[in-house]
Amino acid sequence: MSDWLLSMLVHICLAMGGLLIFCAGAFFRRRPADLLFIMALVAVTLSALAVFFLPAGPANPNQMVDIAPFGAFFYLLLIMISGLTLLFSRQYAQEKGISGDEFYGIVLFAAFSMLLVAGPQHWVILFLAVEFLSLSFYILIALSNRAPGAGEAALKYFITGSVAGAFLAFGIAILYAATGSMMIIESLATFKGADDQNLVLLGVSLILVGIGFKLSLVPFHFWTPDVYQGAPAPITAFLSSGAKVCLLAALVRFGMASADWLWTFLGPVLWVAAALTMAWGSIAALTQEHLKRLLAYTAMAHMGYLLMAFLALPDSGPGPILFYAAVFATMEIGAFGAVGLLSPAHPDHPDRDGLKAYQGLGHSHPVIGAVLALCLLSLAGLPPTAGFFGKIVLFKAALQGNLLILAVIGMLATSISIYAYLKVIVALYMSPRQDDARMPTPPLLGRLAAMVVVVLLLWSGLLPGMLLDVIARAGAGF
Amino acid sequence: MPVNLIIILFLPLIGGTIVLLFRKQPELCRRLALAIALTELILVFSLFLITLSIPGQMTPLVIDAPWVPSLGIHFFLVLDGISLALVLLTAWLIVLCMLVSWRSVNAHTGAFHFVLLFNQFAVMGVFLAGDPFLFFLFWEIQLLPMLFLIGLWGREHRVAATVKFFLFSMAGSLFMLLALVGPYAYHSDPAGAQIVGRNIDAWLFGAFVLAVAVKVPLIGLHTWLPDAQSASPTAANVILAGLSLNTGAYALLRFGFPLFPAAAHNAVPLLLFLGLLGMVYFAWIADAQQELKRLVAYAGIAHMSLIVVGLAVWNQMALTGAVMQMINQGLTIPALFILVGILEERAPNRDLANFRGLWARMPLFSGFFLLFAMSAVGLPGLNHFIGEILILMGAFHKWPIVGVIGFAGLLLTLVFVLGRVQTLLFGPAPEAVPAEDITGRELAILIPLAVAVLWIGLFPGTLLDLLAPEVSHLADQFGGGLHSQPITPPGAL
Repeated sequence: MSDWLLSMLVHICLAMGGLLIFCAGAFFRRRPADLLFIMALVAVTLSALAVFFLPAGPANPNQMVDIAPFGAFFYLLLIMISGLTLLFSRQYAQEKGISGDEFYGIVLFAAFSMLLVAGPQHWVILFLAVEFLSLSFYILIALSNRAPGAGEAALKYFITGSVAGAFLAFGIAILYAATGSMMIIESLATFKGADDQNLVLLGVSLILVGIGFKLSLVPFHFWTPDVYQGAPAPITAFLSSGAKVCLLAALVRFGMASADWLWTFLGPVLWVAAALTMAWGSIAALTQEHLKRLLAYTAMAHMGYLLMAFLALPDSGPGPILFYAAVFATMEIGAFGAVGLLSPAHPDHPDRDGLKAYQGLGHSHPVIGAVLALCLLSLAGLPPTAGFFGKIVLFKAALQGNLLILAVIGMLATSISIYAYLKVIVALYMSPRQDDARMPTPPLLGRLAAMVVVVLLLWSGLLPGMLLDVIARAGAGF
Repeated sequence: MPVNLIIILFLPLIGGTIVLLFRKQPELCRRLALAIALTELILVFSLFLITLSIPGQMTPLVIDAPWVPSLGIHFFLVLDGISLALVLLTAWLIVLCMLVSWRSVNAHTGAFHFVLLFNQFAVMGVFLAGDPFLFFLFWEIQLLPMLFLIGLWGREHRVAATVKFFLFSMAGSLFMLLALVGPYAYHSDPAGAQIVGRNIDAWLFGAFVLAVAVKVPLIGLHTWLPDAQSASPTAANVILAGLSLNTGAYALLRFGFPLFPAAAHNAVPLLLFLGLLGMVYFAWIADAQQELKRLVAYAGIAHMSLIVVGLAVWNQMALTGAVMQMINQGLTIPALFILVGILEERAPNRDLANFRGLWARMPLFSGFFLLFAMSAVGLPGLNHFIGEILILMGAFHKWPIVGVIGFAGLLLTLVFVLGRVQTLLFGPAPEAVPAEDITGRELAILIPLAVAVLWIGLFPGTLLDLLAPEVSHLADQFGGGLHSQPITPPGAL
């Protein structure tokens, strides 16, 4: 019994934290935002600590949720992302008037569902978790409904997300019908006769469609720029880092469990999707005049690179994807977090979005401007940031998987997207300063979170060995 | 463990960070940065003198520590004769950059000097790195300070020029990444390498050459350079011409040929063609330039094309000449840029039409200009002559036609340089010619350069003795083409 408790403690902390926040919100007449924030932080910290108390040993395939080192790695990553989101969003939420039990409670619920998405062994858990995640984000995006664009973004995310959920459910149902098992590893690894093959293929394809929606893969990506732009910046940070990473974890799980014939059939499809995603994301980012949309498209391109590493899974293992997922999440949360810190404080105004609004900001706000520039340089893959090693690891994996053409496409996409990042850096540092009376001073917690991001990016960029070792152990413990 | 190597590499970085802390006091920043750069120069120069005084071959200083064991990457620094010469050049040119910008850079002075020192760190890292990935890290990182150097302190069209420069260079770098990662990926899976065939090495070398072709630059991918040079402040001109272009040639020398000897052997005709065409074309184009900076820029890349010819020939003589030319053109072309910068400080308009008959008004300046122009042309007694003659003779040994065409290219350079010198220095002076001759600070910059140019021209043995052992080692080991074994990077699977 206590074994079960220990293994679920991570999830319990987050879920209980969310519930307690809602209770606390109900008890006080005026929402005690500070108390709720502290409760959320405490919950996140406790669950982070609880990760180290997970029972050791390889995954028990009969459990509903995976608690092996592979899962543990993602839990820690996702909890860290949640913690950073809370830090980035404290002041922002306060200023926009959305700070309250809904915000902090649902952030915790979103974190909880992310953990479940990253570590399912049972299809129903995955489906429930994905739906819960989407529901949490619909609410989070729509919360700041006074700012223009948020309601539209939430509606777009809701509609496409529901369609994705429908595909996912249908795919799971078909897979169950074909294989008779609801356990993920079992159902994907079965090899039956020729009749069942088509059904399994259909089921898996539909599941991939559902996941493709959430991961912004071509051709299911159309929601991405609008939702990223309309959502409040810290929530976009949470969405682009956490939501993507947990689904990547799920995808890696499927990939490692899948039988070879599934790879043979679906490999080419994923190849085309990867190539298109990389190309579309990079090219579309070139013409963007709004930072959040630009970051959305480039995030899409990065999903393409990750999919390329995923295609190399049989040859190079899950290590490259795990490394780049961790690095990518840090970069994204840093970039959007910086956008949130630089945004004007008034609740009716949208986030600082247009590139014109960023001109000269590198000089007037050196610290946060530098953080934003560092995250952009890391996204571009320049040393000494973590993105540099990320690119090395990615392309090495692609070449090991015999994906030379895809690697070249990836290289071209990277060079193209560098212009997009360069545009922002030129605006930040090499354009005349814009006079802006509405600038808030970045809050202490926000700066703390930004520093954490910078330290992580530089550390992984200069001494990636530690992270790589952790990942190797995680990969071995699948 | 040679601690001095660590200090030489990291002093600029640490010093630069310290300078950045004092960015609110520009004068202090200038002096502090200059002190750090001078310390660095003294360190490297004393190492140089010690090396020269020890009889016999120099034992390279090596640092080899595991860095990222899971990827097989080592923190591997190596300082041999070639590296020492280039590191000395780096240390010196950065000091010159600071002196040249003493009065002309007044905005964000602290950041400027930090960028210069960071640039020094990056370029030294390129010349010292022995591990391919460490080399690639420094190769990429050196783009960042150049981006800011041109973009923040440059002249008109600086943003467009720096964006163009950055994009070209990054695109090239990514192909170099492919070339460097390729052997790791394929040699760990010999079956994979077999399936794709021997051609994979040719493609990887092609990717590497693409990166080098952007950097050096070779004809065809050179269009970023004149714009970047034209928009740069003088300090960036010096670094770009004297250091950045040399890193491209250095990459080919140290990693291009040794990692892919068979593919390189097959690519030699292409490299020779591009080099020779570049020499002729750039000299021709230089003749048509009205703006002085673009003129000197094209002169510089004409010389780089000759270096590439020397590298492609890859025998003892031509290789020695090529490495020597890297040093030579790292002295002469920056000197010419500095002189142009001096002219610009005197008068805002850089159109050649305004500058005529300078000899009458600015005799000292004209003397220096004549010296460095003659050096660029290859006048015997000055530094370029030695390097150029070595390359041409080496080329003539292997393929006479290459020697002939190379010489023709040099003749073209002579033509356009002499023409410009005549217009600029001699002839009647219009009234608008600036009259103030060289100041003490500028003399301090130019005299050592002139001395170096004369010394290498009259006593080339000093430099040649330093370079010879490593060069002959490279020439012997990889001159065999198909029969050479590619170097395995340390720690490779």
